[in-house]
Amino acid sequence: MGLRQDILSDPVSVLELRQLIAVKPGTTVRSAIKLMHQHRLGCVVVVDDNNQPMGKFSERLLIKLLVTDPGALDQDISEHMASTWAIVKQSDPIAKVIECMEADKLRFVVVVDEHGHPVGITGQKGVMEYIAEHFPRQVKVQETEAKLYMDQREGA
Amino acid sequence: MARRKRRAPQEGDFQDPLKNYDGPQRVDDLERSLIEAKVGDMKIQPFATVTPQTSVQRTLEEMAKLNIACVLVVEDDRLLGIFSERDVLMKVADQLEQLKDRPVSEVMTPKPVYVHRTDSPAKAVNLMAVSGFRHVPIVNVDDKVVGVLGPRRVTAYLRNHFKN
Repeated sequence: MGLRQDILSDPVSVLELRQLIAVKPGTTVRSAIKLMHQHRLGCVVVVDDNNQPMGKFSERLLIKLLVTDPGALDQDISEHMASTWAIVKQSDPIAKVIECMEADKLRFVVVVDEHGHPVGITGQKGVMEYIAEHFPRQVKVQETEAKLYMDQREGA
Repeated sequence: MARRKRRAPQEGDFQDPLKNYDGPQRVDDLERSLIEAKVGDMKIQPFATVTPQTSVQRTLEEMAKLNIACVLVVEDDRLLGIFSERDVLMKVADQLEQLKDRPVSEVMTPKPVYVHRTDSPAKAVNLMAVSGFRHVPIVNVDDKVVGVLGPRRVTAYLRNHFKN
């Protein structure tokens, strides 16, 4: 099968899911940033007492906060979270992840099991890695000084 | 010593070792496009640049105003580094007060991996996946920056192949 058909038929569960960082309302933005920093992850998901997602806080929101109100880092994260997020099931096709990200301009989607409980997140990075596995010979490592041509001809 | 006279090539002398080679078969248009298209044909603009001397605060304001994930740090059209959301999280967020007036060159990611505009989209996507950098600058043959490819643009590119 080709890549297009694979994306339409392979389930989300074949993607490498990232650990979901969940925080409760009441957590400060600063604490959430610390968790994102520790896990090298671009967002945290704010969940209610039943572990149901209520919103998310991302790097994009962090930049806006740093510019408009740096003092807000010590405020409750639920005052600064975005309420736009997307949920996909583990059994959904990978195409749905692409669809959700593109439709709502998201970087991450929350992955839930059949009972609706969050099991991880995936997003642009997960899809990139999935595609990269189809084209393993395309990578070349280079330095920024590398050039396509030589400045001077070689030899005599 | 007499030199042996070289025999003129006859028809049928040459056996083409690739005669029966068909090359890789691309099953669908998405695969074909990822391998055979050029990064320069994708949406790689607009992109934002700052000079290395631009302050961290000014750079953040620019990113927030344009609602973008990264800026390229460029001097005399030459790519020196990239400053992205991840740099903000990892290097700036918890010490903005000390860093806000410092030049962005102190906190940027120097010497970022890049691709040429004539490279394939597959190479760019692989580089993003393998290197872990979400944004890959695009340069032309003179190493002048001509664009940047980020995951959102790749997602839009993929999405277009599912619309048909």
